Order: sequence, then structure tokens, then C-alpha cells
Amino acid sequence: MELVSIVGVTPQANEAAAAASGRTRAIGAIMIGIGVFTGLVFAMGVSSAAHSGLTFNPVNLSNAPWHVSDLTVATRWVNAVIALLMVALGLEVIIRSPRRAVMVRFGVVAVLFLFALLFWVVRTPGPSPVPVINFTAVLIGSSEVAMVLIFGALSGVMCERSGVVNIAIEGQFIGGAFIGTMLASTTHSFIFAALGGAVIGGLLGLLLAFLSLRYLSDQIIVGVVLVTMIGSFSSYLNLQVFTPFPQFNTGTLAPNLAIPLISKIPIIGPVFFDQSGFFYFMLILVGAVSFALFKTRYGLHVRAVGEHPRAAATVGINVVRVRYINVVLGGAIAGVGGVAFMASQGQFQPGYTSGLGYIALAAMIFGRWRPSGAVVASVLFGLSVYLSQNLQTYNVPVSTYILNMFPYIITIAVVSGLIGRVRAPAADGIPYHRE
Amino acid sequence: MRLELRGITKRFGSFTANDQISITVEPGQIHCLLGENGAGKSTLMNVLFGLLHPDEGEILIDGDPVKFENSGEAVRRGIGMVHQHFMLVPVFTVTENVVLGFEPTKSINRVDYKKATDDIKRVSKEFNLDVDPDAIVENLPVGLQQRVEILKSLSHDAELLILDEPTAVLTPQEIDALMDIMRSLAAAGKSILFITHKLKEVKAVADVITIIRQGRVVGTAQPTDTEGELASLMVGRDVNLTVEKSAFTPGDQVFEIRDLVVRDDRGLIAVNGVSLDVRAGEILALAGVQGNGQTELVEAIAGMRHVESGTITLNGRDITNKSPRQVLDAGLGHIPEDRHRDGLVLSMSVADNLVLNTPRRAPFARHGSRNLTAVRQNAEQLVKEFDIRTTSIFEEASSLSGGNQQKVIVARELSRPLAFLMASQPTRGLDVGSIEYVHKQIVDNRNKGNAALIVSSELDEVLALGDRVAVMYAGKISGIVDPSTSREAIGLLMTGTTSEGAHV
Repeated sequence: MELVSIVGVTPQANEAAAAASGRTRAIGAIMIGIGVFTGLVFAMGVSSAAHSGLTFNPVNLSNAPWHVSDLTVATRWVNAVIALLMVALGLEVIIRSPRRAVMVRFGVVAVLFLFALLFWVVRTPGPSPVPVINFTAVLIGSSEVAMVLIFGALSGVMCERSGVVNIAIEGQFIGGAFIGTMLASTTHSFIFAALGGAVIGGLLGLLLAFLSLRYLSDQIIVGVVLVTMIGSFSSYLNLQVFTPFPQFNTGTLAPNLAIPLISKIPIIGPVFFDQSGFFYFMLILVGAVSFALFKTRYGLHVRAVGEHPRAAATVGINVVRVRYINVVLGGAIAGVGGVAFMASQGQFQPGYTSGLGYIALAAMIFGRWRPSGAVVASVLFGLSVYLSQNLQTYNVPVSTYILNMFPYIITIAVVSGLIGRVRAPAADGIPYHRE
Repeated sequence: MRLELRGITKRFGSFTANDQISITVEPGQIHCLLGENGAGKSTLMNVLFGLLHPDEGEILIDGDPVKFENSGEAVRRGIGMVHQHFMLVPVFTVTENVVLGFEPTKSINRVDYKKATDDIKRVSKEFNLDVDPDAIVENLPVGLQQRVEILKSLSHDAELLILDEPTAVLTPQEIDALMDIMRSLAAAGKSILFITHKLKEVKAVADVITIIRQGRVVGTAQPTDTEGELASLMVGRDVNLTVEKSAFTPGDQVFEIRDLVVRDDRGLIAVNGVSLDVRAGEILALAGVQGNGQTELVEAIAGMRHVESGTITLNGRDITNKSPRQVLDAGLGHIPEDRHRDGLVLSMSVADNLVLNTPRRAPFARHGSRNLTAVRQNAEQLVKEFDIRTTSIFEEASSLSGGNQQKVIVARELSRPLAFLMASQPTRGLDVGSIEYVHKQIVDNRNKGNAALIVSSELDEVLALGDRVAVMYAGKISGIVDPSTSREAIGLLMTGTTSEGAHV
């Protein structure tokens, strides 16, 4: 059999690389631009005498780590180094045009920008009433946001890998947080709260699955409607239940479970080994979802259903059942994420998830529909959300409303830069018709 | 495996797609199911494969009656199907695709990929189907993807293989390779059910031929029968398989493309420096396997896609990057590739579709309002002239058969004053009668002295219509040849192999 002529690399392969590298260069140029701005404003823009404080001891911590002394640095030179780092990353992207992780580099630059901004505002003499950055506290605070984002992103991975867009993560957060505070307040057990959150999230997932799989409704519209509905309903219940009976919303933080010895390591200890049970559960879940999707038979079926449902159906896989299972499981994960959020805030308030569910969805896209990628993305997004929310305490001379836009601006930058470069599961969001 | 279908009947509402069909396939036999598009072949295969449930009749495997609730059960009983649109997950490896649904597992439900790969290597060695198990399917050429489909069925211990229109996407060389594979599988004792409407292939490979028309078995034939005999059985009347064409008398150059570069939807270069000329009274046929840039080229000419660089000239006017309206006004008639998407507004009436690209012009409109009398008269005349079968000119276009829908488009385009006709896959999915008709219209238009560009992935059509044949591969013209050139030589050009002798 003579088949030489038909076996070969597709001629388009090189072309794809060329188109991608153009976009990559543009991103590199933006990174350099941010670096130059940082260098001019945050480094050269301050007097050489200005200095910023850095401390590494977490506040309000009984389980204090071994002591690391505070540091005072020259604002101008620290920010100059940060600026150079940004420019170097930008240049590296332009010159080497790496095929992977360009957006991760961009995210690093965004976070570096926020740190440079922090160094700049806490400088003495400067506008901030607080002259130091508590580095460990920043990481702990960010890790709480990142944890919630990871729950949400994992939920998205579960649903979208099977071909259903779950835009209702935000609603599942709210539902989980609501039921979580009730159960935690009455039973004083966060295990019950987590189970309750999983049930509520799973039920919302079931509703989404039912409408989109049985009635083939548009998944995005169903998702948005669910979020809006849950948002309003929880506000109503808040008014009717929590206002007259505050004992149902007493506000308890999930206790930290410190791992002996290693939790005492400076910086790393408090961030990774002195966290609530939700944090550890999240870590296990990342591994579990990753394993299930990429190593098991179940995962192969899920991915086949998300990419080419008809092909899966022809070998006897029940497409609709796989999607039901995944959307319900994904909903349950997001529900637990809502409880975790509540347990880090201590109470339920209407609307306080403020779009975290959507940022989680962006983290999932940024992470290329992979659990590990979602973790990287959630850490970057967590840092930027936390920092921008807390910049106000430093009296940054910019309106807080503008600062609150920051995580969303990064999200838009990241997601729009990614379009055309990462591929969603091919059947994502497309209803499946049986013949 | 000995497969017997007995009196299979499948109805969709009042429409009977399969009417008392009985077929027997013996082990080691290549059984051909020949029929036109819409004759009910695919319905029958979907019934056999468990995707549809028959209303009447039964399926027997080696004498035992079987009932399939879904295709997984059919696969478990040894039936494998190579679908016309491959049932492969593009981003999966060959191994993942082959084991899907039948995974060997280790502890905690893990897929045993090592065992899976070994199994695939064993099967591909046994049947001489060489494929790299670790290759990602979307990176493989179509011919190899089809081989993966066959491998998939064989790995599931298929004893009967259904091949549904397997050659539509292949080059002539790939078709030959497929025929060899089919013969060697049959020699190994597998039964093969080969579904097609292409007479040449049937004659080349079939042991037994069953012909289906309008949902019924209308007879059997021998591979030794002539193509004409097979065709008239398939259509139910005598058909003229050759296109009558008067001698080629080229006139002035009407249409010219120079160094055209066009990108596809993903931003990749799809047309890479194409230059073509078409003269008055000439049909230039553009051959090539689908997906080599023909679609983008046609869209660029019609003003539906941005031209990156190069020029398109029609009747001396530069129409590069002009709007579709300006291009049509310059004298282009366009029969698009996808008639449902680009050719018709399916929810509008036949009459409105017949004036779709001239609604603002006299006599169909005056002072910005439509002249419905003129629209109606135009429709009545064209329906008669082009033999469009419709119950009324006010009928929705969607209610017409594919052949009649295509006639609406042909009538609309050819009834305007044209300088240049461009038709893309003009007979795709049409029955033999409609194909004859469309071909005749295209040739008549050329005999009137108009220029035409016909884009087709059917080599028969290209050779029948073209005064010259250009072959496109990977965005470039790999050769321009005389239609008397051998199919093999043109097949080589379709794979990008340019040999000196093939050039004109």
C-alpha cells in the first residue's frame, strides 16, 4: 500500500504558531508598558529618601510562627527592581514567545504591579496611615479568596468538561453560604454546614441540568436566571429569617487546624499549614478531580462527552447521564465553596460574594479547563482581588470604586487575550439531541 | 458473521423511510448498498446499528434474532460502523479513541493505557493497519482518521463492518487504499456492508449489490453490470451519465485572480498566492479534497471574506474586497456551497428566494417599495422554466426537496444577466436526475459564451464539466491540466505531488 503522500504534518500547523506569536508579542509589549509605568511612577516618582516597611508576622494569631524580623526597604529601589522584573518578563515573552504560560506571566506582572503600588502607598513620608505591608497577612487573606475561587473553578471544570456551561456558580456560592450559616449557627458543626452546602449546590446543579438536558434550554440563560433568582431569594430570606432571628446567622469563623511544627515555619506555615478544614479539603479535591478526569475510565467518558457526545454515544456511553452526574457534582463543589466563603467571612450578607463565581469561571478558562491550571489562575486572581479590596485601608489616592474594578479588569485582559488560544471542550454549551 | 435483515420498516410520521427491506450479508462478503441520497440507506444503517428502532421487521445475527436498545449493544454483538462523519474525538489520542467505552482498567477505575496500546498494536499488525497509537487524531490526515475508525471497530471484535459513504472525503489514492483494506478484511472473514451512491466504487469492490430506491429494495445487481445499468436501477429510469458539451471556443478573458491570499476563520492562511484566469465560453473546474482552501477562495471572490493581498478582476473591474452586492452587480452569479446557509432563506417563500439578490431593483421594487406582482410573475415564470417542483410559489423554501432547492438557486442566478458564474459543490447531496439538470444548465450557460468557475470535490463532476481543470492543495494551485488527464495524475495533484508531466 502506497500511502507516503497522505501521511504528513498539516500545513496549517506552522501558520497557527505564527498567528499566535503575533498576539504573544502584543501581550509582551503590554507587560513592558506596565513595567515602564511602574518604573516611572512608583520608583522614579518617589524621593530617594522614602522607605517602606515589611512585616512577616501574621496578626491575631495565637499559633505564632518562629519570629522573622521586620524589614525596611527603600521604596524607590524596591519598585525599580519590580519594574525591571516586569520589563524582563515582557522582553522574555517577546523574544522567546513561549508557547505556554504566557498568560501566567501576564498575571504575575499584574500582581507585581499591585505590590509595587502597595510599596508606593505605604512609603514614609506618604499618604498611608499604615507604614508597613504585612506580607504574611496579605498571603493569608489572598489564600482565602483563592480557596473560594478554586472551589468555583473546579465546579466549572466538572461541568464544562462534560459539555455543560455552569454560569450559575455564583448562585451556588450564595445558596451554599446561606444554608451554611444556618447549619453552622444551629449545629455548630462546619461538617454539617459543608454537607448542607453540597446538597443545595447539587440541587441547583440538578435544576440547571434538568432545564438544559431535558428541555435543551440555553445553558447561559438558565445559569444567569438561576443566579439572579438565588440572589433575590436569599435577600428575601435574609430579611424574613435572619433579621428577626439573628441566632440563625450568628457569625462563626471556621476554626483553624494548625499542623504541628510545620505551621510554625515563617510565612509558609501560616499560609499553608494553619488553615481551616475547608482549605485542606480544597487541596484534596483538586487532586481528586484531576485524577478522576485524566486517569480514570469515568474521566475519559466525561471528556469524550464534552468533546464529541455523538461519538461517545455510539460506543454506548449515556451522554445525558454523564452530564447529569457532572453538573450535580460540580454544583455540590460550588455549594461547599459557598460555605467555605461564609466560614471565612463569619456571616451571611446578601450580595457579598460580589461576582466571585464569575471570577472563578474566568479562572477556569485561564487554567485551560484543568484543575491544576485553575489553581494557578485562582492564586493570581485571589491575590489581585484581595489586594485591590484592601488597598483602601492604605488610603490609596484613587477612588475605592475604581480600585474595586481592578480584578475585573485583569479578568477581562486575561480572558480576551486567551480567546482563540485555548480551546474549550468542543461540545461545551451545546445541547445534545438524541436521534 | 451472517447478518440478516428481515422486512425492516421505519416510518417518520407519515413518511416511510424504509419499507420492508430484507438483506442478507454472508461472512467474508462485501455487500454493497447502492442508492441515491434520501433513498433510506442511512436510516437502515442507523436501525441496524441501534441508533433507531424499527417499526417492523427483525435483525438476525447468525440466525438469532437480536434487538439493540442503543449502539453500544450493537457494538457488543460484533457490529462496527465507520460513520460518514467520523465518530472520533479530535483532541484524543488514537489509543483513547479506540478504547473509549471498552477501556481495560486497573485498580480504582484507572484506564490501563499500556494494555490498551498493546492491544491496538496487536490488532493493527493483524490487519495491516499501521497507525501510531499515541498520535492525536486531529493531527492525522483524513485517510488515517478513517483507518482509526476501522481499527476502533476491529478492536471491539467487530465481525461486520458498516462503511457509510466512506469515500466522500478521500483522495483517489486514499480511496484505492481503502478498497485494499476492505478486500483484505473480507479475506480475513469479516463481513462488510458498503453504503454508497458512487457507481465506480461499487463495481471495483462489491461481491453483491443491493439497490435501494425510495425506501425499498428494488433489485440486486452484479459488479459486472455496466454503470449505466446500475444507474438506471438506482434512479428508476434511464439516465445520461455523460454531459453533452460542444467544442470549447474560448473568448476574451473575463475573470482573473492574481496572487490571492485569504485567511480562514481561525486566522490561518487558507488561500496562499492563488492565480487563475477564466475566459468567456469556458468552464474552469477547480478540483481538490475538501478543506484545501476552496471554500475560502470562493467566499473571497463573492465578497464574503476579506482578501489579505492580491487582486480579483471581473470584466475589467477590480472587485477585490468589494461588498457582495457590488460583486453581484459586476456580473457574478454565485451558487454557494452550503445552500441552506448561504443560498436560501429557508423560512421565506420560493418567490422571495427567487429575487433574493435583486429585491431593490426594478422591476421588483419601485421607490423603495416592493412590486409584489412582478415578484410573483417572475416566480411563476422561473418555476415553469427551471422545472422547480413546488406546490405553490408561496411555499416556504424549507419544504422543497434538496434538488428543488438547488433549482431555485440555479434559476435565480442564471436568470440574471451574468458575466461569470461561480458554483461551489453545485450537485452535493442531489439525486441523479437533479445532477443531470444542474449540469445541463451550467453547460448551457457556458455555451452562451459566459465564463464559469466550478468548484467540486467530486472528481467525476470536475472531469465532466471542466474545459480546464485546476487542482487545489493546501491553499495553492498544484496544477492546471486538461480534463483528459488520467484520474491518477489528478489524484496525485490533489495530494500536492506535482510532477512535471502533469503541467500544461
